[in-house]
This record gives sequence, structure tokens and C-alpha cells, in this order.
Amino acid sequence: MTGRLQDKVAIVTGGASGIGRAICQRFGREGAKVVVADRNIAGAEETLTLMGANPDDASMVDVNISDYHQVERMVNEAVTRFGRLDILINGAAILIRTPPLVDVDEVLWDLTMETNVKGVFLCCKYAIPAMTANGGGSIVNISSMSGVRGVGYSLPYAVSKAGVIHLTTVAASQYTSLGVRINCIAPGGVDTPQMRGSTASAEAFAGRNEGHPMGRVGNADEIANLVLWLASDEASYVSGSTYIIDGGAWAQAQ
Amino acid sequence: MDKLIDIACRAVADYGFRQTVLYGSADIARRWELSEEEAALLAGPVLAELSALPVPVQPTDIPAEQVRVSEVIRGLSAC
Repeated sequence: MTGRLQDKVAIVTGGASGIGRAICQRFGREGAKVVVADRNIAGAEETLTLMGANPDDASMVDVNISDYHQVERMVNEAVTRFGRLDILINGAAILIRTPPLVDVDEVLWDLTMETNVKGVFLCCKYAIPAMTANGGGSIVNISSMSGVRGVGYSLPYAVSKAGVIHLTTVAASQYTSLGVRINCIAPGGVDTPQMRGSTASAEAFAGRNEGHPMGRVGNADEIANLVLWLASDEASYVSGSTYIIDGGAWAQAQ
Repeated sequence: MDKLIDIACRAVADYGFRQTVLYGSADIARRWELSEEEAALLAGPVLAELSALPVPVQPTDIPAEQVRVSEVIRGLSAC
């Protein structure tokens, strides 16, 4: 099936690699006009190339999502260029490993919260008025299983991703009646450059597959499939929900 | 140069932090309260060193890489 997002205008933060890139590519194939938003300009350019989109259908923007001036500019540029904003995918995040709580540096806590929580807040803050001005829209926030169950290797990351889930719930309670559906996904392990880079070694990465009920971690295209559905009109009655997508790992752990 | 070395060594050991530095060096310089000279070194030759690191640096290689990058930074500051 194609055309599930025909002529919709989407901003995808974190579009320069991994899950964000897969979402950009999938959205492009489904007919959306896509703004690839990231601080990694080379990666964003590569995403555009991989999408094979012409300038009428896709663009990129260099944005630090923790800076409200830059977020406001990002939304304004999307609306100016493509005439509207229908979809926001909040995929940009950082994952910095930390020692246990007592030894976490305050600067790493602040860095993580400002990108992962404040960034999502700001993107929603400026995107929602652009959506309601045109009848509504759909926001999908990318959380993590770290935000559901917690992880020991990064307290700030886990807390920030839990914050994204709650931001989703509260924002949906406030804006669903205005036509903006706001949902969240919580992926488990996914084979992305981020995950590979954050895993100690190739052997350790392979070990992550072995402990999984499906015998493997997910891939970015599988995550993009869920995001596509939530962003599309097929999910017209879905708002305020968080979807776990981890190949059954959480269920097996219960 | 101790702050700059601290940043670089963290970036060697942690890919997520390395990405944060690579795509937000000005922000890192502000948060670590680097001097203008340190910030310029971070944005220039230190980023080049960090960009060239393997992904990830294998755990057994981290100490040696941290020593090497630290020496590079000390050499830059001596220029």
C-alpha cells in the first residue's frame, strides 16, 4: 500500500540516522512531504539522498530542539515551504551512559533532560498551533522501553524517556479535542547506529539477539511501520496511548 | 586543558556522549565553561580526532585511546 500519507506534511526530528531516517524514508514512500530535522547535517543530507525526494517533497533543517528559537524557526520553515503541518515525529534524543545516581554528573543530567524532554516539549509547543490552525494533526513521540522499565546504565535517559510517556498522556488530554492526536511508542532494542555504538563490542551486540524471544532485536523499518500507522488516518481513534514495540521482550520478562 | 581532556576522554568511552559533542560542541563548551581557546580547540582539531574514532571504541582499547587523545590535546595547547 502506498499513499497512506499522501500530501501530508511531516517534521521528523532525529531524521539523520537510525529510526528517524527509516521514518523519513517510509513517510516519503507513502506520499508525505518530509522535513528532516537534525543537528547532524551530513546525516540529514544523506537521508534526503536515500529518500530520493525532489526539493518539492522534502527538505532538511539544522535544529537544536532544546532551543526554542530554533524549534520555532523549524516549524515556521516547514509551514512556509509546504503550506501546512500535519505530522510531528519527535525522534531526536541522546543516550549518555552514566554511573549510578550518586555519581551522575549534573551536567549530564541537564544535557539529557534538555534534549530528550524539553526538546519534545518545545517541538509540541510550536507544532500544535500550526496543526490546529489547519484542522488538526498527529504527533508521535519516540520514548523507549527504558522509560517503561528503567535501565541501570543511564538513569537520566530512563527518566527522560518516562517523562516523554507522561508528556504524551497529558498533552493528549489537552489537545485531542482540538484534533491533534498525540501518541507515543516505546521501542526495545533496535539495530541502529546509536545502539551499535552504545554496545560495548560486536560480540556484546550479538549477545543482545540471543536473549530475545524472537532471537533478534528489531530493525528501524519495523519501528517505522508502527509510527506510520499512528501518524496516518488509519489511527484516527487513537490518542494518548503508548505502544511497546520490543518483539515480546517485556512480556517475556514478566 | 583539563576540562577539554575530560570531555574528550568521556567521548572516547561513550558513543552517545561522543555524538553529543560532535553535533553540539558549542553547547558542550558552554556547559563545561571552556575558555575561548579551549572551545576553539574542541570545535576544530579535537572534533576531528573524535570523528576518526572507531564506533564503538572497543573496551580494551579505551584506556590507550584516552591517553592518545589526551596527548594530542596537550600537544595542541602547547602550540
